[in-house]
This record gives sequence, structure tokens and C-alpha cells, in this order.
Amino acid sequence: MPVTEWEIGKLHLRPALVWAMALSSLKVRLARAMLTTLTIATATAFMMYLLTMARKEDAAATDRQSWTLMLVLSLVVASAGVLNAMLMSVAQRYREIGTMKCLGALDSLVFSSVLLEAAMLGLVGAAVGVVAGTVIAVVMGLVEFGAGVLARMSPALWPLHVLGVFLVGMALTTIGAAIPAYVASRMAPVEAMRGEK
Amino acid sequence: MTSGQFELAPRPVLQPVEQTGRIDWFSDLASQLEYTVMTRNVTKVYRMGAETIHALRDVSLEIRCGEYISIMGPSGSGKTTLFNCVGGLIKPTSGSVFIDEIDVAQLDANELAWLRCRKIGYIFQSYNIIKVMTALENVTLPMLFAGVPGDEAQDRAVAILSRVGLGDRVLHTPRELSGGQQQRVAIARAFANNPAIILADEPTANLDLHTGEEIIHLMKEMNVEHGVTVFCSTHDHKMLAMSDRIVWIDDGRIKRIATRDEVQIDVDVLEEHK
Repeated sequence: MPVTEWEIGKLHLRPALVWAMALSSLKVRLARAMLTTLTIATATAFMMYLLTMARKEDAAATDRQSWTLMLVLSLVVASAGVLNAMLMSVAQRYREIGTMKCLGALDSLVFSSVLLEAAMLGLVGAAVGVVAGTVIAVVMGLVEFGAGVLARMSPALWPLHVLGVFLVGMALTTIGAAIPAYVASRMAPVEAMRGEK
Repeated sequence: MTSGQFELAPRPVLQPVEQTGRIDWFSDLASQLEYTVMTRNVTKVYRMGAETIHALRDVSLEIRCGEYISIMGPSGSGKTTLFNCVGGLIKPTSGSVFIDEIDVAQLDANELAWLRCRKIGYIFQSYNIIKVMTALENVTLPMLFAGVPGDEAQDRAVAILSRVGLGDRVLHTPRELSGGQQQRVAIARAFANNPAIILADEPTANLDLHTGEEIIHLMKEMNVEHGVTVFCSTHDHKMLAMSDRIVWIDDGRIKRIATRDEVQIDVDVLEEHK
């Protein structure tokens, strides 16, 4: 295998390795991953709750206004929470990323595996959030207003809401991870290894 | 898995060395070999606010293939900077670094990654073992980066870990390993892709005397077995006896380069005058 005559080669980004690295990273930091997932789940659950509680067209204008305001607020809260959780979890790993770069990890491998990991967290978090948000909305509606509340909900819109919440959850986690992952993957290995910043 | 006999082939040019068991780089064998690392007037200047710091000034150095070379010098003398320049970890302000006649400055990011992955093995003062991974995973990692299939990488990792004396600890995490053992993992990891050059930055600085000595011996053994070039910065005078050549560096300049025999004479003279 080794030769005295050699020329510089190229490394290839292999999707299988990206998967393996993302999965192993989740596995070894399971507690941290679960905490991040919880943040995402809470944020998306709130959104899902609001969407499920959405009043039909006959609702009063003031009702609709305050509902929209709540939805916007929930988005802001979710963004802040999720972005913060992702930034922290990647920033903690600068040293590890620097070491991996010294061992020959491609920038693209570092970046894409962190991104994939974040997307998976977003997926799981949003799934939990969607279920929790819907259940809470329905149960609270039933308790407060009785069976009549089901007629006021709009099941036709439900798939659209689910899709929207999933998109928001995954977008937030990926964007939150993309920024520090990009910085770390472009950093000179020695700098990253010092582990500051 | 038998220990010691992992099938990473030694560099072909050095096979005779294994039989003689000793390298004399100043014999005719040396003349056949090219330099594996060359630095040409390497200068590195750091700017810290208004202050400029000359970490390296005009360092020109040739390292022969298979040589064990030690860099000695006080803290802040530029050892680590030189080490990082040679390893392609930082770019010199001026001057060039050649690895097997390839100018490192000409390489793009992917080629640099390839170089770090396949040609160079790093050993650090603070081990830099990835904490969340087992010894086995740490050693497997560079092979996976190089595209070695998982099973094969794992077999080789077990073999190399056995070679460095950690055959019974492959599934331990750094938390469960002593400093010396962690440094052994780092050595195994550095050898994973059968590199041409091992760069060791004060590998014994965090270890006690005895453990440090073991690590030095292990590095020397690997140097002889695999014909890998070892470039090692150190404070440690025990390193001298292992080195083929010693480079003293101070204030970013090369002060002196001597062979082991020359240094040995110095020591003998000192002994006589006692």
C-alpha cells in the first residue's frame, strides 16, 4: 500500500460516512441530544397547539388578531430556543472538530454530518411536538368547551399544519447548526483545537 | 488477532533496515534516500495588536526519509509553530514547506485534508483523543476518512492498538485510560493510515518520567519497524538518545543541528570533566 513514489490524492465525501458520523454523534451524546429535542418539541408543540385551536372564519376579528400575535410570538420563542440549543451543542465540539480535521476529515464531511444530525433532531423534535401540541389542544378544548369543540376545529387543514410545523422545526435546527458548523469546518485545525471561540 | 504483526506494510525502501535492526542514516543507504520534508526560509509572523511576534525566522531544514529527528528548545521558541507549518496546519508568512517535494502551499483544502489523512500522523501534547469515542473508534476514524471499509478499518485498529499494548482496552473511552494509555491511543491513531511522517508535538510533556520514556521507546520502535519519519518537538533530554539528529531552535531560529553521535561526544566530554 505505501509507496515511496506518490502523488497527492483527493478524498471523497461518502454519504454513508456522513450518516454514520451523524448517528454516532447522536448516540454518544444522547442526553444532550434529548435535551435539544425537548427544546424543539416544546417550541413546535406550542405552534401546533395554536394551529389546532385556530378558529374558523366566523371568529371575531379581535380573536383572530390575538391568535396571529400568539403564533408569531411562538415562532420567535421557538427560534431563540432552538438556535441557542444548536449553537451551544456545536460550539462545544470545536476541539473535536479540529482534531478530526487534523486526522483528515474534509470540511464538507464535518459540515454535512453536523447538518444531518441537526435535521434528525429537528425531525424527531417536531414529531413529538406535533403529537403533543395536537393532543393538548384537543384535550383542553374538550375539557373547556365539551364535545362541541371538535366541530369548531378544521381537520382538513391538519396535514398542512403538520407539514408547516415540521418544516419550521427542521429549518430552525438546521439553520441553528449550520452557522457554527460552517465556522468550525472552515477554521484552521489548530485554531479549532484550541477549543475557544 | 496476534499483536505486533499487523499487516501495515513498512515503507518498501526501508525493508533492509528491519533486518539489521539499526538505522545508520549517514551510511551509503542514506544517500539513496530523498528528503521527505524540506523547509525553505520559513518565516511566521503573528500580529497581536500593535505587537508583531516573529515565531519563526528563516528556518531551512531538511529531514531525511525514515529519520527520527528531535526539535529542542525552550517554550515559545517556535517549536510548535514549526511543527504546525510542516504539518500543513498553518501557512507560513513566507517561505515554503515541501513534503516529498510537493509544496504544501500549492495544495487546495481537499488535498491538504488528504495529506493530513494519508501522509501525516499527528501526536499532540494533550493527546487530543476524541473524548466521546472509544480507543477503537478513535483509531478507526482516520481510516474511515481515508475511505477504508468499516470492517477492515476495525480489524486494523485492533491490530495497531494491540501493537501499542492496548489490546485489552480497545473498548475503553479516554475517561477510563491513563495519560500514558491515551497517548498510546494517539500513537496508534497516528499510525492508522500508515503515514510517511509522524509529527509529535511534545508527546511526553504531560506524562511522568517513566511513562514518557515508554512513549518515546514506542515511537522509536514504530519508527524502526515502519520506516516512518518521526519529527518530534520536545523539552526532554532523554529523547536525544533516540534521535538520529537533533535540531535546537531558539527565538524562531535554528541554533544548531547535530547528529546523535556528535551529541554523545559532548556528553562524554562532560562526563570526563566531572
